[in-house]
Amino acid sequence: MAEAKNGEAANAQETRRRLTGKVRIPPVYVTVALLVVVGMLFYLGNQNFLSFYNLNTIISFSAILLMVALGQMCTILIGGIDLSVGGLVSFISVVFILLIKPIGYLAYPVCLLIGVIVGYINGSILTRIRIPSFIATLATGGILTSLAYIASSGAGAPRPVNLSPALYHVVDNVANGSLFTVSNVLYIGLLGLLLYYVILRFTGTGRNIFYIGSNIKMSWMSGINIVKTRNIAFMLSGLGATITGILISSIRYGGDPMVGNAYVLNSIAAVVVGGTALTGGTGGVINTVFGSVFMSMLDNGMNVVGIDQYFQQAILGAMVIIGVTLTFDRTKTPIVK
Amino acid sequence: MSDDTLLEMRQITKIYPGVVALDRVDFAIRKNEVVGLVGENGAGKSVLMKIMIGLVQPDEGTIVLRGEQTALRDPLEAIKNGIGMVFQDGSLVPNLSVAENLFLCHEAAFRKSGMLSLRAMRDTARELLTQLKLHLDVDLPVAELGPAERQMVEIARLLWLSKLYGQENPVLILDEPTTVLADSERETLFETLHELKDRASIVFISHRIQEVLENCDRIVILKDGKNVTEMPAADSRLLKVEQLMVGHSFSVDRFHQDAEWRQAEKEILRVENLSKAGLFQPLSFTVGEGEIVSLIGLVGSGKEAVCRCINGLEKADTGSIFINGRKLPSGSPGAAVKAGIGHIPIDRRSEGLALMMSVAENVNLLVLNRLKTAGFLSPVREKANAQHWISECQIKTPSISTMCANLSGGNQQKTVISKWLSSRVRLLILDHPTRGVDVGAKDEIYKLIRRLAREGIGMLIMCDTLEEDIGLANRLLVMKDGRLVKEIASPPGQKPTPQDIIGLIV
Amino acid sequence: MTEVSSKGGYLTWLRKRFPVPFAAARTWLRRFGILAQILSLAIIVAVFAIGTKGKYLSWANIQTILSLAAIPAIYAIGLHPTIILGGIDLSLQGVASLCAVFVGLLLKNQFNSNDVGLWIIPISVAIGGAAGVISGLLNTGLRIPSFIATLGMSWILYGLSVYIGKAKNVQILDERIFNAINVMVLGIPQIAILAVVITIIVQFMQNRTRFGRYMYAIGGDEVIAKQAGVKVNGIKIAVFTIAGVIYGLASLLLACRLGIATSRMGLTLLFPTITAVAVGGVALTGGIGGAKNAALGALIVTALNDGLVLMRVSPYIQQAVNGVVLIAAVALTLDRKKLGFIK
Repeated sequence: MAEAKNGEAANAQETRRRLTGKVRIPPVYVTVALLVVVGMLFYLGNQNFLSFYNLNTIISFSAILLMVALGQMCTILIGGIDLSVGGLVSFISVVFILLIKPIGYLAYPVCLLIGVIVGYINGSILTRIRIPSFIATLATGGILTSLAYIASSGAGAPRPVNLSPALYHVVDNVANGSLFTVSNVLYIGLLGLLLYYVILRFTGTGRNIFYIGSNIKMSWMSGINIVKTRNIAFMLSGLGATITGILISSIRYGGDPMVGNAYVLNSIAAVVVGGTALTGGTGGVINTVFGSVFMSMLDNGMNVVGIDQYFQQAILGAMVIIGVTLTFDRTKTPIVK
Repeated sequence: MSDDTLLEMRQITKIYPGVVALDRVDFAIRKNEVVGLVGENGAGKSVLMKIMIGLVQPDEGTIVLRGEQTALRDPLEAIKNGIGMVFQDGSLVPNLSVAENLFLCHEAAFRKSGMLSLRAMRDTARELLTQLKLHLDVDLPVAELGPAERQMVEIARLLWLSKLYGQENPVLILDEPTTVLADSERETLFETLHELKDRASIVFISHRIQEVLENCDRIVILKDGKNVTEMPAADSRLLKVEQLMVGHSFSVDRFHQDAEWRQAEKEILRVENLSKAGLFQPLSFTVGEGEIVSLIGLVGSGKEAVCRCINGLEKADTGSIFINGRKLPSGSPGAAVKAGIGHIPIDRRSEGLALMMSVAENVNLLVLNRLKTAGFLSPVREKANAQHWISECQIKTPSISTMCANLSGGNQQKTVISKWLSSRVRLLILDHPTRGVDVGAKDEIYKLIRRLAREGIGMLIMCDTLEEDIGLANRLLVMKDGRLVKEIASPPGQKPTPQDIIGLIV
Repeated sequence: MTEVSSKGGYLTWLRKRFPVPFAAARTWLRRFGILAQILSLAIIVAVFAIGTKGKYLSWANIQTILSLAAIPAIYAIGLHPTIILGGIDLSLQGVASLCAVFVGLLLKNQFNSNDVGLWIIPISVAIGGAAGVISGLLNTGLRIPSFIATLGMSWILYGLSVYIGKAKNVQILDERIFNAINVMVLGIPQIAILAVVITIIVQFMQNRTRFGRYMYAIGGDEVIAKQAGVKVNGIKIAVFTIAGVIYGLASLLLACRLGIATSRMGLTLLFPTITAVAVGGVALTGGIGGAKNAALGALIVTALNDGLVLMRVSPYIQQAVNGVVLIAAVALTLDRKKLGFIK
């Protein structure tokens, strides 16, 4: 019987070989190629696209998107997904501003802590109530969005929360500063990038995330602590979303309970288009970097070139579908539900 | 070909990568007969039957059905030709009712102006089941039936389908039907089969030779994908059949016997009064340092469950497991791994490896903590560890970062073994270690196993064939129906023969 | 096979502590699904009747509840067959937005001179159906898991709707349609009756046609169903198409009910619809539940939210309550043996 299984699996591999030419082109190359091609197209549409100022904008926004995307990547790598990042970004964006007044610079560590705790709660729901991550995080995302609304305006309609100018220095000294004419946002992005890279590449738990995403049954049989690793993955996601929320509020000098909505789609797109498979187990930080840059570039480029803003969402949706089609590992799931 | 030959399979060959599953096998069924098909695991019975019902296509050979050469391209075509199989795991949709399952995809007969007449379905269903002496609420979802009833439903379905397509003498294949049945249910099954003989031909696959001899007209024996012989059941004796199933004595050298092996002095594993309801009764045994102990038994003997309990994959109901004298907390794979128990699973692709990750990453999986400097994983140490084991176990791979999915079966297996060796395992459980592995790699794995024994690792193995078990092991634990029935020494040079053993397990 | 966290899980604790009633409750929930739902409904009604000192039970309020529950019920009926198959359809937001935009622009409105009248019915339905076909093809042809394919479709369709509708709020000025939607029959809102009729039709199809039974077979065990000869791909595409068709109808009704068509109409629909389906007893793992479950679920959720509003609970707390209800409903109806490890 096992011969039959082996045979069929090997046949599947043969088929894949025939379909793609090579067994596997590292998806990063595809993303980089896409980046270059699409970049060219935008440049042809509008020369300003490659201006120093514009590139700076793209890179800044890439860095902001990158944080939440890296967090999202952790949950996708382990085989789940985090649909609550939008709600968390919104919530943190509001709460951060609100906290600056009473506790000043302490708002930074407090918000980071909140984000990590939210991630832990997400992970715990998975473990204790045992429902799939996409439902659990759908629900917690909704709850977080509600909390963001409440925090911003009580029972009234959601509105932005502005930072009083007297407190501007709290954010200016951190996110809005610049060193050698490069915005601090970029440095923070690089630090975040480094953090995630080190965790995923050089720690046992980070490696376990890959093992679990790749083959959860084997991981369990080998004694890997799945509960702990999963909690950490979701905590990392909470952390990323939090950093993004803080950065956005810093730039805008105010929090907005609706700001996070776009980030669910954008973070998933950045991860998937960058080449991390939704099935988990493959992918990495570099992939997501390119994915984030690509998504930011797409967003910016469409504006610069004058594509209807409304069309952009459609294009983003199409990107996700294309990205998934190319990276999804079908040999893992014989039935695709 | 005589007049009452219903179906003839000639010179059927089927090859999978690295394995010849069937080698020019002939198989014939006559009208109104019950044919028993026997052979060890891996002898090719399942593959042959899958070809017969159109699930698998043969690479060579022909099928002649009722005098005409046919190609059975899919199970539906086979059903239309009156050939159907009741699988070991059952193929009923659990949430549909009995009636719905009986007629699934062939409900045309019950359509009344576009809708299904539920009453007609129920009535017909009850009728069919009554013919098989089964009285059930046909609206029950199948998930709520016991295995015996489910089997009957499947047989009823096959009979009805062949009637629907006007096939007079259908062929029913039953794959290991008695494994999941209680004694009384078995009796009922055999009575039913005897009655069915008048209007159908039956192929009966089973490990229980005695049953086969008692209930079949003819018995066909396969070994290693080839025909051995066939004979009328009445003339056969159990002993003879067993001998034929298992083959001649093996060449002693094939398993690289360790002539220097001595009785183990230090005990590594001790199992005391371990039991699990429904799977195996209380049993006790030990495995010593450097000892290879083989668990022998048929499907249903409980040996797999014993290993799962030792691995922590399942919690035993009673008893304890001791590793190096310390008690193992039950039900936790993590605890087992920490205690030094390793497990080479039967299905390395789904249970043994992270296929999308590199060889190095797989080999290092269990020892990441040891490969750190200053708290972080060190690429240098990882590389060193991976390379060490790749050369130790002779894993053929283009580089240490090759994806495991790209390795051959044998090298994948060696990667799995390296993973455990790297973690300084004390007891290794090998579940069919050479399944799906080609001859050359098999040899290397045998040599590896010997080396591990020399280094003091205790091993509990379950092999594909009795020959392999006997050849590799120093001691045999024979299990039957959940009980440990006998312990047999198998020292080099004084090995028992498969014929000696087989009588104990069937 | 033993599951990962055999130590964790409050439900597991419940299950071990009270094995017999727990098992009985679960079989009940599955077999006589609606009994549990009817019970919950009764409890909700009782709680709010007391809490609002009877105002909850006033005829006006009941009419409100029925009227408010009808359209979510129809959406839920559209969504749930995709869940029975074992997948899911997250595209309803996009479909609703797109249909709303077309409804706004094609019916008599203040921006252009279109006035298609009753033709809007087949048009809206066709748009939904077309979207469904595409989702189905993405799932079966490109083998993209349904939740990604439909999520992507949702974004694409929403983007399309915003592009076409240009974020305008279009007032629907077609009196006939407006009246037809909002009419009352014997004191019961016409759309509620429509919802009941649709429920009956769909439930009938699920119980008494081969197509319906094959849907359940696929949800029960796709591999076995395929082996038995069920045309899995064809049925999946058909189910997504039917879902789209029903969304088209529901979106038409919703836009006309509101009187204003905008692409934002769809944005808040997904969550309540999934909650309705789950609460109604349709298991996420597939194979269980029918149209009556979906409709009942919508009724329960509406009754719950209506009560919360009457008791002046903040709308944002309402959302939190809905979130908790969703988690609970899914947790209770999930068939964990099917899922193996939870990701």
